[in-house]
Amino acid sequence: MKRKIIPFIVAIVLSCLVMLVAGLFSFSGLATAEKFNADVAWSQPYAAAESMKSIDLTGDGQEELFIQNNQNVTVYNGDGSQLWSLNYPTPKTTLGDINNDNVEDIVVFYSNGVDTIINGQAATVTTGVNLGAPARVAVIRFPSGPQILLGDTSGNLLALALNGQTLWNANIGTEEIRGMDDAKIDGQTYFVSAAHSGSIILFDSSGQAVWSVNQNPIRRMRAYDLNGDGNSEIISGSEYGDLKIYSAKDGSVLFEKSLGQAISEVREVEINGEPSAREFVVGGKEGGVWAFAFDGATAKQIWSGSLSDKVTEIAGLDINEDGKQETVLGDDLGNVAVFTETGSRNNLPKHSSGITRIDIGKLNGARYVVIADGNEVQTNQVHLSSIPGFQYTPLIVGLVVSAIILIIAAILASIPPKPEAKLSLQDKSRESLEAERRMLKESIADVERLRKSGEMSGEAYLARLKRLRGDLAENEAAFKTAGYQVKTETFACPNCGGTLELGMDKCEYCGQVILS
Amino acid sequence: MLCVVGIFGIIAIMLFVYLLNTARKKTPPPSAATSIKDYAPVYVSIADKPNSILRGMDQFAKDLRKTESAGDKWRWIPMIIFLIGVGLLGIDLIVDLLGYFSITFTGGALALWIAAFVMARNLRRSDSKDFSPRYQGTKEIIRSLRDDLKPDSTFLGHLDLTGATLKTKVARETKDTQGRTTQMFNDEWLSLKAKLYDGNVLRLAATQRTKKRMSYWKRSRISGKSKLKPEKFKGTEQRLKVRIVVNPEAYTIVPNATFRQGQNIGKYTITALDTQGGMINILADSPFAEIEQENILNFLKSSYSLLQRKAV
Repeated sequence: MKRKIIPFIVAIVLSCLVMLVAGLFSFSGLATAEKFNADVAWSQPYAAAESMKSIDLTGDGQEELFIQNNQNVTVYNGDGSQLWSLNYPTPKTTLGDINNDNVEDIVVFYSNGVDTIINGQAATVTTGVNLGAPARVAVIRFPSGPQILLGDTSGNLLALALNGQTLWNANIGTEEIRGMDDAKIDGQTYFVSAAHSGSIILFDSSGQAVWSVNQNPIRRMRAYDLNGDGNSEIISGSEYGDLKIYSAKDGSVLFEKSLGQAISEVREVEINGEPSAREFVVGGKEGGVWAFAFDGATAKQIWSGSLSDKVTEIAGLDINEDGKQETVLGDDLGNVAVFTETGSRNNLPKHSSGITRIDIGKLNGARYVVIADGNEVQTNQVHLSSIPGFQYTPLIVGLVVSAIILIIAAILASIPPKPEAKLSLQDKSRESLEAERRMLKESIADVERLRKSGEMSGEAYLARLKRLRGDLAENEAAFKTAGYQVKTETFACPNCGGTLELGMDKCEYCGQVILS
Repeated sequence: MLCVVGIFGIIAIMLFVYLLNTARKKTPPPSAATSIKDYAPVYVSIADKPNSILRGMDQFAKDLRKTESAGDKWRWIPMIIFLIGVGLLGIDLIVDLLGYFSITFTGGALALWIAAFVMARNLRRSDSKDFSPRYQGTKEIIRSLRDDLKPDSTFLGHLDLTGATLKTKVARETKDTQGRTTQMFNDEWLSLKAKLYDGNVLRLAATQRTKKRMSYWKRSRISGKSKLKPEKFKGTEQRLKVRIVVNPEAYTIVPNATFRQGQNIGKYTITALDTQGGMINILADSPFAEIEQENILNFLKSSYSLLQRKAV
């Protein structure tokens, strides 16, 4: 009976475990069949874009695509046709409302001057700027008025008024300016800049340093108000993999972590759809990707993943319109991947050259992911497709597996037990039992004789004796069962269960001393 | 990734072969050198009337076959479960080819393969090895002697087919000058005692004596490397001990020329013969590894040539 029940008990336990795991996978949403597809809307040849933004530059309510490389500044219409293109020697650009018409304008910092481009019309702000090779440019709207901030490759900063008048200048290091951003302190706008040599300085509108810090060589610096408290957080990534978050208020370190590879990009992405605390994604030079959430006091890692080469660009896009942004990343080998909220990676079609810029925008009335690589700029409509009901497949698989486990248990229980390899054929008549008893005693005597004459090893002697004594005990039991009188001559060792002759005070098989 | 797929593939192929062999009931053939080990290990304790013994032995064999045949009809099930697993893997493959990522069905396939393996192992365990020819031979001996047995009396003894070279059957161990150990095994595989119709008491003991050299490490004189030399089967022989306690009222012992020491009787050669004290003690050896029941019965019949019936 026990033999038939045990397989079923085991099978039911196993089935329950299988269904538990299946249910866990089904209802936690871990089992999904989703993929991101990209359909190319249009593409234009454009080599190695350095800056790119989908934004309304004409004031018509439709976004255009602004793009810049080291030779020109170009703007495309939403349908991919070129609106205008202006050539500059090694330009650096930024966007900002220069003429207060609520439409973004372009500011170009090139080798010997600064231009503004308003609606495709270029106007010179100043020439003969006393700076080295352009590195960064920013338009910061201070409470006192907007300023154009220029940075060169030698760590020099220059602030200009919109009419080209020099307001202030500063030097924050000996190497290239790697970051320029506006930072908020108690809702007021300040300017923060970082040089590759490792210094980060926060300036007020008059060019006075509010605070400064020095750290390992900086590769990337960005400022975001991650928790919306009116005070920005300044995120820096170093050449040696240090990720640090500074408080814009006093420059104190709120969070730091070593990521093990140079940090090549940092971007804010609303990963979890909870707008009170923003998330940010960090890309590494070796392809590492990390997502962090900042809660106002510190940051914690949400997930990590990887691309095949240096992460060159990060952008956030709510592809499936669930209020949570997916992270779109590009690398130096031309791979583009979408990372979901949980960090699972989905590849988009690969590009033939390294990705330089990725931006999200609404072009021609539709939302696009714009990807610029070494050769062209491409607008992609990315959409999510999934197999409906796939999340319940673990339950189906679990049911199939459980059913088969139960069938196996039923089959195994139906197979009769294998008979024991020992067969005892015993006649129950008194004469037969007595004859058997005599024979066994003779056999025991034979074995002892063989042992004494050296024809049997100690181990063989004990094994044979144990078997014969066992048979003798069975014979005694048969006598008793049949109701005949018999003189008991054997007993079982309390330790090993081997049959011994009465009167023995030590078990020959296990060495146990027998007291009673 | 390729490495993981490769390992997974090798495991799947090994499992497929294992399950296919289970389904086809393919087991390795018994090797000549260790033939005795390839038979079902059976021990029969005999203390019953001949017909009961024969019935009991037949029933035992039948029960064993029943277990096997009960498992036989399910032998293809593990293979079918394996193929269902392959089908699940195929679903995942199609889903992946469509550009989605899924390992849900692969997980199910792995679970099914483990279940198929467990079932196949259980089915294999229900397999029984063939019975030794000695099992059938002993039945024939009992069947032949049953009419000569004293009415209502029983055969006593045992049939031990658990193996001739078990540790528990080592009679002696010797070491040669090189330190190599040779073991001598003494396997009394058949022992029978019976009170015969004519008043004689017959005792019969068939023993297999086997010699085997144990494995040992040998160091090469040239390279200095040590090599493990496998154990070596050095030979086996059969011995038959017969004792007839003669009923003096019915017989007188009369030695004769056809049954004497050194005489060959079938596969046996008589090595010792003692007819003193109203008992006949015979020791016969045979160089053959296997002795058929005809030879034992023939030997018993020949031994009766020493007896001359008294006139009534």
